[in-house]
Amino acid sequence: MNATFYLSAAIAVLSTVLVITRANGVHALLYLVVSLLAVALVFFTLGAPFAAALEVIVYAGAIMVLFVFVVMMMNLGDAAAVREARWMEPKIWVGPSILAILLTAQLAYMLDSNTMSQPHHAIVPARAVGIAMYGPYLLCVELASMLLLAALVGAYRLAHTEHGRL
Amino acid sequence: MSPALRASLPFLVLSAAIVVVMLLIAVRRDHRMIATVTAIGLLASLAAIIAAAPAAPVAVTPMFLVDGFTLFFLALVLVASVAVVLLSHAYLDGTHDGPYDEYYLLLLLATLGAGALLASVQFASFFLALETLSIALIGLIAYPRGRAGAIEAGIKYLLLAGVSSAFLLFGIALIYLDFGTMSFAALGRLWSAAHGPTDIYAYTGFAMLLTGIGFKLSLVPFHMWAPDIYEGAPAPVTGYVAVVSKIGVFALLLRYFVLMDGYHDPSLLRVIALVAILSMLIGNLLALLQDNVKRILAYSSIAHLGYVLVALLAGGVIGIEAASYYLAAYAVTTIGAFGVVAVLSQQGSLHDTDRLDAYRGLMWTRPWLASAFTAFLLSLAGIPPTMGFIAKVYVMTSGVGTLLIWPLAALVIGSVIGLYYYLRIIVVLFSPVRDAEPLPPKAGVSWAGGLTLAVLVVLLIGLGVYPTPVIALAHETTAGLMPHQKTIHTAEILPTR
Repeated sequence: MNATFYLSAAIAVLSTVLVITRANGVHALLYLVVSLLAVALVFFTLGAPFAAALEVIVYAGAIMVLFVFVVMMMNLGDAAAVREARWMEPKIWVGPSILAILLTAQLAYMLDSNTMSQPHHAIVPARAVGIAMYGPYLLCVELASMLLLAALVGAYRLAHTEHGRL
Repeated sequence: MSPALRASLPFLVLSAAIVVVMLLIAVRRDHRMIATVTAIGLLASLAAIIAAAPAAPVAVTPMFLVDGFTLFFLALVLVASVAVVLLSHAYLDGTHDGPYDEYYLLLLLATLGAGALLASVQFASFFLALETLSIALIGLIAYPRGRAGAIEAGIKYLLLAGVSSAFLLFGIALIYLDFGTMSFAALGRLWSAAHGPTDIYAYTGFAMLLTGIGFKLSLVPFHMWAPDIYEGAPAPVTGYVAVVSKIGVFALLLRYFVLMDGYHDPSLLRVIALVAILSMLIGNLLALLQDNVKRILAYSSIAHLGYVLVALLAGGVIGIEAASYYLAAYAVTTIGAFGVVAVLSQQGSLHDTDRLDAYRGLMWTRPWLASAFTAFLLSLAGIPPTMGFIAKVYVMTSGVGTLLIWPLAALVIGSVIGLYYYLRIIVVLFSPVRDAEPLPPKAGVSWAGGLTLAVLVVLLIGLGVYPTPVIALAHETTAGLMPHQKTIHTAEILPTR
């Protein structure tokens, strides 16, 4: 259990460092996806499977894939096609793939050895999360909606151009 | 109506105003209408405080506590926000960089964040409220996109807000690791039971927490961002950052410190005393070297936060009252000073009128504006008959009562240095206009801006001559924060030679 925690935490830190040091946006995003998957695994080892699932579905799944799509769809044309061919060289995708395979192996190991049932970790089920969100944390959830609105309006203002196109 | 619902009325009205403004923008973009609705929303929230006051104190979910302390500072934040809205209208028209409507939406969101900060009694709500405030402020700071300075300031604030949030979160995580609770009150009980932090995790956690808060309050040595961002942000927003965000975070620090019973921890008191002394001395010394009015005011705000920390260190009922009055005086004065800069900057240029040269001879060309500016500067320097004088006396009294010798010495020395650069601006205002130089461009003052400045000057001098209403209000509301049975041990702990 501890070994899986430390390994996924190390992968999270390593891939985040690689996110920061990559010069190309798409390469950084690939590592960011790996980083988020590793964080999801950390949540899983800590006994929060629901948070881990959300991390995968919302961050690594929806948001990051959207990022990759948006970056790849910018500036379409011949130059972009050449560039994309260059992006797909093995040395680009080997790094993230190795890290992702390591994470998958860990997940398979944990599911196989059924480590979730170890007594020293209280497992927080989705039900408990829901009850907390609509109980004591209700107003915090409302406040978070205002936080997202502020971020949305701020981003809209900064990205909005004179012609009204984003 | 349940007490909890009644006590949260000001927040509900504010949230409703946000939704109304957002829907109005979707229906019709009209700068004047949106500004008016925003001001009405803020005033309605202010009126709701009167309705909420009898219900306080009451816990609204375990995350928030609405008590007299919350409502006093919320009133201060709302009044400051109304003043900023009134000053912003003509200023934004001058930037010719529309649409302007989202500005008011962001301003309301930031105000809600600051208000939630005042009511937070738990780390989760504290962090969410702080982020709401910070994210909205980034949008406000970078609002004039056409100005390179504003965009630069926005990015700087984004990075610093991110870094300080990371410090805060890590600190909170370490404290949670040690004590297993995020509620301030429960933490305080565990803390006193254990006689202070027990191991390295808790100490590191508290150090990181103080670092994050120090960034937000721009205390020395976390002050480097303040002058750049104050200079780059549009003048009304600078006033807002200097006043509303700092009041929100300072009030939270005060509540946290009292609930944690920090007065019994010598190391914590020493660290805060050191930060206060450094802020007062370095803030004032660096202001001497500046030729830009907004930068001078930025350094002056660093020093002023150091002065309020003295009141926090003094503690007790009088310390809380002193801090409350000081922050009220600081709000009126600082919004006023940046308001003058905003009113002078309504010519649609790419910079605010903030070079000291531009103020030469203002007294002879625009006497009313220059007189108001003089009044605000005198208040910042702490000269009677302004609120700044009473505030400083109050802080001194609280400090003398608890024998805080070194912070008080720094306060006196800092005030003397401060006098020099405040008077330097006043001398420039009064000096004769050189013939070779063009006169400062003369634009009409909008009625809203003029009215705001006039009201602020009246408050500044009125409450400086007759401060009893604010002091009585602070005594009734904020002093309830301090449990009466607590005796003050500050004097025994700090060096008192």
